[in-house]
Amino acid sequence: MLARAAADFYWMGRYLERTEQTARLLEYQLERLVDTPAEEVALGWRVLYKTFGHPAPPLPNDADEAEVFLIADAYTLAGTFVEDDTNSNSMISCWSLARENAKQLRPWLPVRVWTCFNQGFMWIRDCDFSRAWAEGPAALALEAIDWLRLLAGVVDAMMARDDAWRFLELGRFVERLQHQTVLLDTWARLGQPGEGPRLSWSDLLRVSRAYELYRRRRSILVRRESALAFLVRNPEVPRSLRFAVHRIERLLSGIDPKGARYPLAAPHRLAIRLAATVEMELGGDDPDPEGEDGSFSDLLRDARKLHDLVMASYVNYPVERGLPA
Amino acid sequence: MTASRFGSSGDGFGDAPRACSAGSGAFADYEVQERFYDELFRPDGTVREACRQLVASLSAATPEELSTLQEGVARRFIHEGITFTVLGATKMSEHIIPIDCVPRVLTAAEWDHIDRGLRQRLTAMNLFLRDIYNEGRSLRDGIVPADLVLGCPQYRVEMRGVKVPHDVYVAVCGTDIVRTNEGFAVLEDNLRVPSGVSYMLACRAAIKQAFPRLYRAQGVQEIAQYPESLYATLTSLGSWSGDPRVAVLTPGHYNSAYYEHAFLAGEMGAELVEGRDLVVHDAVVYVRTVSGLKRIDVIYRRVDDDFLDPVVFREDSLLGVPGLFNAYRTGNVVIANAPGTGVADDKALYSYVPRIIRYFLDEDPILANVETHLCRESDGLAYTLANLENLVVKEVGGSGGYGMMVGPHSTASEREAYADRLRADPTNFISQPVLDLSRAGCFVDGRLEPRHVDVRPFVLRGRDDIRIAPGGLCRVALRKGGLVVNSSQGGGCKDLWILRDQHPRDAPEM
Repeated sequence: MLARAAADFYWMGRYLERTEQTARLLEYQLERLVDTPAEEVALGWRVLYKTFGHPAPPLPNDADEAEVFLIADAYTLAGTFVEDDTNSNSMISCWSLARENAKQLRPWLPVRVWTCFNQGFMWIRDCDFSRAWAEGPAALALEAIDWLRLLAGVVDAMMARDDAWRFLELGRFVERLQHQTVLLDTWARLGQPGEGPRLSWSDLLRVSRAYELYRRRRSILVRRESALAFLVRNPEVPRSLRFAVHRIERLLSGIDPKGARYPLAAPHRLAIRLAATVEMELGGDDPDPEGEDGSFSDLLRDARKLHDLVMASYVNYPVERGLPA
Repeated sequence: MTASRFGSSGDGFGDAPRACSAGSGAFADYEVQERFYDELFRPDGTVREACRQLVASLSAATPEELSTLQEGVARRFIHEGITFTVLGATKMSEHIIPIDCVPRVLTAAEWDHIDRGLRQRLTAMNLFLRDIYNEGRSLRDGIVPADLVLGCPQYRVEMRGVKVPHDVYVAVCGTDIVRTNEGFAVLEDNLRVPSGVSYMLACRAAIKQAFPRLYRAQGVQEIAQYPESLYATLTSLGSWSGDPRVAVLTPGHYNSAYYEHAFLAGEMGAELVEGRDLVVHDAVVYVRTVSGLKRIDVIYRRVDDDFLDPVVFREDSLLGVPGLFNAYRTGNVVIANAPGTGVADDKALYSYVPRIIRYFLDEDPILANVETHLCRESDGLAYTLANLENLVVKEVGGSGGYGMMVGPHSTASEREAYADRLRADPTNFISQPVLDLSRAGCFVDGRLEPRHVDVRPFVLRGRDDIRIAPGGLCRVALRKGGLVVNSSQGGGCKDLWILRDQHPRDAPEM
């Protein structure tokens, strides 16, 4: 497969995943506006900003200020993540960037995939955020998620399981691994017991679409250690770190079947090591982000390195290395 | 008529024709003018034989039904992102190609005339190109002024003596054909990187779905085989032990025709590459894949000569591939169209094409040329300056409707400014009379009205044969009274139906 096209598929996967992450976090945050103490909602905004690497808005000093702050600014804050095209993580930015990639991939994309993608783009481009807000703050995020699920279904049904699909999926799961790692890290740090507002662990499970399974497998009572461990190593939760890293490992085996035997290609080697880390080092009942080994920080660093290795191995390799023998 | 007319059970179009004429029913606002050949109606307002079923079907539809139909085909273009890009003053903008739902119809006999004319023209042009890059007989014999050819910026000295595979310089050609009351004529040849074929195919796909029964009943010739023909044409230009690897070379997704590049690559199963994807090593062209460099055998380039290879042509080009021309002249890669073909579609050289046909083929041209005045000649310049308000003046190297002036639509100050440009650089201009382009029925603003059209058929020249898709990109000037059909200038497109038989099947008397 053409190296540039592979990179475009990979980035398209990343942007689509990022759009969904933004939409999921927004949905969570906006649904809480109704009945959650204002200080906790303010903390939620902080998590959202931190997860996407933005400077967090200042926290209010007390509950009264928080109330004012929230009512006045929830619309603006949400708008930043929906329609602000200067924010590279906003839904419109991510979708636009994904579409730029998709435009360059039209020879590889089944027509129905492109059409679905384009219709979704036109929906978000043309949607009236203030009107959607009036209908219900979380409605827009939910509809965006529906569009993304529709697209995922069309991709699943229409695309061959070739390198194009593998790079698309690889992008999605590398993005998911990085994002979930940051999310767990943020939650673990801001969810420490103490004074003031705290994050709810059941909310973390909900945001990660793992709450129902957790309740069935573990308990309705959600403990910090148990929730973190569940989201790190449970192989059945699509947003667990283990799920993501195993998908990455399998996709890389398909992309580089020679490397899947020996010698292993560099990204594949790192993916296997990441899988081992998630299963063994972070696999205990109490993954501690503040621990001496800085588990989540190390994992995030390696996940970023994985991205660099994918680009260096399959896209930006030196010409002399690529020449036929 | 019932609502089910447009339902899945069929469109209802194709029902038995009923009596109709211009000025009645759905055509109440349709005005036939003798001055312009009307594609649907005779000058007396009666329906042309080949269009009877179409006109009858349209007449039987209500304006609301036609609107639904028009919206349906336009929506399809929007959803599929069938676009072109326009370069504005400060930024690029992406536009959907306007499509009109009413097809234009030509009989098999009319098409046969065009088909033969196009084959003749392309054969002659390939012989001419071979000649001017080798022996130069036609220049020595004064068929074409040598200075016109050798002084043309599109004449590539690097191509002198280069062995071009099977002497096919132009493998893909798009020729603009207009119709007046005098018949069909060639308006211009596009021998470099003609575009529009993807819109032709997209129009057909949309209109076929909009009029399924009528389409079937009319016996329309298929054009869907074009990508396969293009692939066969391109790969016929070399010899391969296995399946050759074909690439479509695009300037990138900011190019106005990027949709087409992507479409053709996808349809042919070829790689869609940009210059940065290709590497030349030991005069062999490779493409960067995820599993290393792979050899490329054929390049269907959609990049102008100037930008193909910064080593040979414009050194500031970021779109091309260093060393590509050397790989080509060494015979390690086929490039279609060959570099240097632009000299033959220069608008000044256009007026010599009839002579070129006679010289190389010893035949009279089948398709006429439009009367053309060369401003490089003193008589031509004088005539042009004296008749600016009645002429269309074009830059010899221009395209896309840019840089031209339509005299009757210009103001006195515009003509004055243009005259200054003409005097300053006469060799850069030609002029032609304002043509009474034929008009075809279009659904505009909720009613059927005539609009001016032309057509660009696509001709493929392979090692052993010439293939022409029976159809073309029918361009339409959607602005009332407008003559410029280019999409960048407010033009749209419509489907062109070439009927299999000289007369449509099962067409009862009206």
